[in-house]
Amino acid sequence: MSSWLDYTINGLIVGNVYALVAVGLALIFGVSRLINFAQGSIYLVGAYIGWVAVVQLHTPLPLTILVVAVAAALVGLIIERFGLRPLQNSVRIAPLLATIGISFVLDQLVMLTFSPNPRALPSQLPDVRFQVGNGTIGPLDLLIAGVGITSALLLFVFLRYSKLGWAVRATAQDRDAAMQMGVDVNRVNQAVFGIAAALGGVSGMLVGMYYNQIDTAMSLQATLKGVVAEVVGGAGNVPGAVIGSLLLGLVESYGVAVFGTSYRNLFAFLLLVVVLVLRPNGLFASARQAPPEPLTGTFIAPSRPVRIPRWALLVAAGGFAILPLFPVSFYVLQTLINAWLLGMLALSLTLVAGTIGQVSLGHAALLAIGAYTSALLSLTLSVPVGLAIIGGGLMSAALGTLLISPSFRLRGHYVSIATLAIGEIVSLVILNWESVTRGPIGISGIPPLSLFGYDLISPTSIYWFSLAVMVVLALLQARLLGSHLGRSFRAIRDDDIAARAYGLSLNRYKSLAFIFGGFAAGVSGGIAAHLYSYINHETFNTQQSILALTVVILGGLGNVVGAIVGSVALVGLPEVFRLAAEYRILIYGIVLLLLVRFRPQGLLGTI
Amino acid sequence: MTTSSPEPLLALSGVNTFYGQAQVHFDLSISVGRGHIVCLLGGNASGKSTTMKIILGLVKPRSGDVSFDGASLLGLTTPQVVRRGIASVPEARRLFADMSVRENILMGAFVRNDRDAVAQDLDRMLTLFPRLGQRLSQRAGSLSGGEQQMVAMARALMSRPRMIVMDEPTMGLSPLYVDRVLELIRTINQDGVSVFMVEQNASLALEIAHEAYVLQTGRIVLSGPARALKDDPRVRDAYLGGSEAA
Repeated sequence: MSSWLDYTINGLIVGNVYALVAVGLALIFGVSRLINFAQGSIYLVGAYIGWVAVVQLHTPLPLTILVVAVAAALVGLIIERFGLRPLQNSVRIAPLLATIGISFVLDQLVMLTFSPNPRALPSQLPDVRFQVGNGTIGPLDLLIAGVGITSALLLFVFLRYSKLGWAVRATAQDRDAAMQMGVDVNRVNQAVFGIAAALGGVSGMLVGMYYNQIDTAMSLQATLKGVVAEVVGGAGNVPGAVIGSLLLGLVESYGVAVFGTSYRNLFAFLLLVVVLVLRPNGLFASARQAPPEPLTGTFIAPSRPVRIPRWALLVAAGGFAILPLFPVSFYVLQTLINAWLLGMLALSLTLVAGTIGQVSLGHAALLAIGAYTSALLSLTLSVPVGLAIIGGGLMSAALGTLLISPSFRLRGHYVSIATLAIGEIVSLVILNWESVTRGPIGISGIPPLSLFGYDLISPTSIYWFSLAVMVVLALLQARLLGSHLGRSFRAIRDDDIAARAYGLSLNRYKSLAFIFGGFAAGVSGGIAAHLYSYINHETFNTQQSILALTVVILGGLGNVVGAIVGSVALVGLPEVFRLAAEYRILIYGIVLLLLVRFRPQGLLGTI
Repeated sequence: MTTSSPEPLLALSGVNTFYGQAQVHFDLSISVGRGHIVCLLGGNASGKSTTMKIILGLVKPRSGDVSFDGASLLGLTTPQVVRRGIASVPEARRLFADMSVRENILMGAFVRNDRDAVAQDLDRMLTLFPRLGQRLSQRAGSLSGGEQQMVAMARALMSRPRMIVMDEPTMGLSPLYVDRVLELIRTINQDGVSVFMVEQNASLALEIAHEAYVLQTGRIVLSGPARALKDDPRVRDAYLGGSEAA
């Protein structure tokens, strides 16, 4: 049994590690108002470079740290130069999406190079523990604390006394004014990306040593924790990020002490949501400060949508409807069923992210709610599957809207962070609420799809069923967009202040959008549950949320037909080229990057 | 049209600017003579602030040329323009609110590398703007509007510019500070710095300027020596509120 002091020490050490990530995020946010979702990938890269140095090159510890810092900084510089600088004059969402794409690509490259299997990363430090009061502390703890404190000091000196440091601070406060003082903001961007990456890389290496294990799942976790710490401390606030990190480390450590290890992340994300709702500018911001976000609709790329004649849509729908009558393979039908299911999720996301402008990064949670509801209704209450799926949709609509409602007052990037956190919270609640969800074991033996007592088991019948459901949802949504309600949604997206001035209640309209979107996603999740017959808390993960977002951007935000075209394209193309599964995510990342760079309005244009 | 000196320090010639489809400037030509104060008058949405942005390289014109000391500024980035010797006092001051007053003033010397001379110039600023002496370690954001204007002017001077461009330097200041600011602009000018200022308050600007231009929806409609414009009935009607001003 560990003592409270042990939990405190552990919390502070872990907090130190988070701080190295969060400070980089804060620097970057300060200078370019960007949440760098690739920060966790650099952390991952740092851990693996550390592994190569320690295990293969047998470098001594100080040299290892140096090698990791320099190599990670280089990665950061490359990301800045080739990934982000070309997007300087594009819409505000573009760089955010680009960092998501970059993180997919980097994670997959690491996975392809080193395999997804975990590796041991020995710290080379003697395994002794010193007694401190009624707790203990080891050399590695001291190393982490030392690296943390040294970095903080170096950073302080850099920002306070060097010319480039002054430029960084000035740019963070007023980019245009800094340029008018002769500051080259590209160099400032480079500097902060280099520093952030070096700190992030070293952090990844230290964490690898701390747990003596590295694997590719570290990346997303690190990004999430870093973002939580940074937002808690106030986005862009460097000292705030350090304090936010230590606080996060302590909250997690005490949470684990009281409730157990599987609750660690739940506390992290609850802390984030609480801070976002009560103090969206962070714990240390002055209350009056306006949120550092644009007030009007520069967030979405404006464009003229591609008009598709009605007959062409009818022909396409008819073509897909009669497809199973031709001798097509199982495999094609299977692929298209996946596309239709993803299409329903994309319809939901394109409404929420595109039409009303709430870019959700946690949309898979709605699938999960629908899937679990439908599975449990049919399994434990013997509700007919058709009704259970509708129940899943309704539950998703209700619960999803309720969960997301705290984020209705937020804008832009903050909505994305909040939805990401809410998505994680749903997954963690599913993991921990064993009496209902069966926890980590998951739910197996879910009855197959059936309608009015007839089982839908043949691929053809499943194909028709899912296509029909998707088409109905798409028609409803198209109808919605053409109505007065649709116009109100777009008004809120384009300028929420003006919309409010015209008497539109933001909460009501955002709720309506999430209710409709939640239903579509819940139905998709419900169908998926009966199709897979087994689900667990990881079936619907963040990767799926990001995939849906890529689909929606590919099709054109807000574009109903685009959502479906995007789904078919993203599900279909890797199949056409017969790519192995591990290359798929890489392709998705690259597609996202290319889209953001060359066609941010998507294939069919935003509506 | 004014031709103040054989070769002006700053010259905009035939500038056409667009924001997307909308044309902001129509064949705009302005010149600032060496050692002169030139002001650009105009109401809201006349294109004044965009003129400043063109000079500083923050906005690129579609056609026309901007030259400073005989060399074109087009194609230069804002930091490069600043290094050529143009300093700016932006609209609404735009101080670095969370940095100290001292740091703000020293940021003005960002393009310089002569530490000792910079330190001397800082002392010089404190004699020019004595009030700032007691405020040096305060957050710039905590100063009053008038004090912030002083910091912005000191900051601009720290780069030892040949020309300062000012966007509405008297906007939002109390009458006391307005006079003080105008007096300072005159002092700065007497030290050999040319001044190009954009103003909405015509009567004040014409008091200190040598030449003036009147901009209306993107076109220069009047220009000439400030003295002449001040008595011009058209200016009086349009910008000085008829008989009550002047």
